[in-house]
Amino acid sequence: MEYYSPTELDHAYTLLDKYGDGAVPIAGSTFFMSHREELFDAADAVIDIKKLGLNYIRLNDDGLHIGATTTFNEIFDHKLTRDGRYAILSDTAGELNTNEVRNMATIGGVICVAGEVDMPTSLLACDANIIIGSSRGTRAISMSEFHVGYLNNALEEGEMVLEVHVPQPPANTGAGFAKFQRTAADLPLVNVATHVSLDGAGACSEARVVAGAATLSGVPERSAAAEAVLLGGIIDDALIESAAAASNDIECVNDFRVSAEVRQLWVRCGVEDTLRQAAARARQGGEV
Amino acid sequence: MNAISLKINNEGYDVPVKPHWSLAYVIREKIGLTGTKAGCEMGTCGSCTLLLDGKPIFSCLRMAIDAQGSDIRTIEGLEEENDGELHPLQEAFIQDHGMQCGFCTPGMILAAKHLLDHNPDPTEQQVREAIGGHLCRCGTYVRIVKAIMNAAETMRNAQATQ
Ligand SMILES: Cc1cc2nc3c(=O)[nH]c(=O)nc-3n(C[C@H](O)[C@H](O)[C@H](O)COP(=O)(O)OP(=O)(O)OC[C@H]3O[C@@H](n4cnc5c(N)ncnc54)[C@H](O)[C@@H]3O)c2cc1C
Repeated sequence: MEYYSPTELDHAYTLLDKYGDGAVPIAGSTFFMSHREELFDAADAVIDIKKLGLNYIRLNDDGLHIGATTTFNEIFDHKLTRDGRYAILSDTAGELNTNEVRNMATIGGVICVAGEVDMPTSLLACDANIIIGSSRGTRAISMSEFHVGYLNNALEEGEMVLEVHVPQPPANTGAGFAKFQRTAADLPLVNVATHVSLDGAGACSEARVVAGAATLSGVPERSAAAEAVLLGGIIDDALIESAAAASNDIECVNDFRVSAEVRQLWVRCGVEDTLRQAAARARQGGEV
Repeated sequence: MNAISLKINNEGYDVPVKPHWSLAYVIREKIGLTGTKAGCEMGTCGSCTLLLDGKPIFSCLRMAIDAQGSDIRTIEGLEEENDGELHPLQEAFIQDHGMQCGFCTPGMILAAKHLLDHNPDPTEQQVREAIGGHLCRCGTYVRIVKAIMNAAETMRNAQATQ
């Protein structure tokens, strides 16, 4: 097995082309190294992508841009993600409760993993786009299409993730994230993210209600039923409770860790809690 | 094999490695600095924690080859940093019996050192969060937290009298 640490994107692309599906980009290496028994045999080349200048958080007119190798702790602590309309990203990063892993794990890595993780749930709630690069150029794909199944993403041979783009939400938008786990250091048993925008009259003009980490489809999913309940309504206790009850259109897995029934109950609780938080944030102009 | 050099506690080490060897493995088995412990080797116990460019990381989840050019600090480097004396955290762990078997201690101390370097006056909650990724099979958490709180106080007092 070969190891490379390119400093230019073009060099990284050449290596990805050369090794095809035997090429493994390595960012924080927390997933790769904790699954090394399964993963090393299939790897002909590991390509360190941490020196490609993909470590940044920037705010443009069209929203927030987070480079693929930006770490969880950088997202957790950054002024652009810590407060204001993108605070759900810091909230979510902080739910990985181990400081040492937050210093290593990257946003590009966590979305590529497509398993029992938290960030993709929040990114789907934010309607984020994933910017992908290869020797053929760059393309953007919606978070809703990036995960194609459990541990399976939409990257094609020769491609890597360059950036996550979180579109600028309308004024009066708020979001919330909730995670259910057995101990503070656990992976999520299920998680929930909600994202709501209010119009001038205070009615809900946009809503995304997402559950992830343990859906039957293996990818984070939006609850069409819960969103339909919210749209056009005033987000009060009654509406929150009916939206939460409607969220059981998302089916969860039943496994040795928790039954599907309990997971679905947690989704309902998570939708209720995060909607309260999202609505409160939206009413404060999305700046809290 | 790839020839790499690592900078550990201000000392250079040239060592041949395979790309998938973890930093924890190389530091212990090839370089012989056995203060860094290898426990679960999957990022869940914290015993292999060291400081990489000043930040605590799990060295079982880092490839050694991927740590070239970084400033690595292990538990062995603490005394040197403290003019040859035990670090106040080490003293406090002894005083307060912040260990039983001692296997988690190097990782606990390095995680705590990072906390105190950045936050000299932490709350107990902040201490618990800083060591949240560390398991102690002997269950000495209460005394570990006490040791860290006491070390913080000692360090603040030393700072004040300087
Ligand atoms: C102890 C522990 C606790 C954890 N707890 C949580 C938790 O509570 N919540 C949670 O959400 N997650 C948790 N995780 C998972 C963690 O979020 C992921 O392991 C991490 O985000 C992966 O990022 P990485 O940069 O380390 O990826 P790597 O291990 O470097 O890469 C992971 C995979 O993605 C590929 N890859 C990485 N970056 C790119 C890129 N830019 N383009 C293309 N492919 C790429 C790699 O080839 C590899 O296949 C935990 C992990 C550990 C070890």
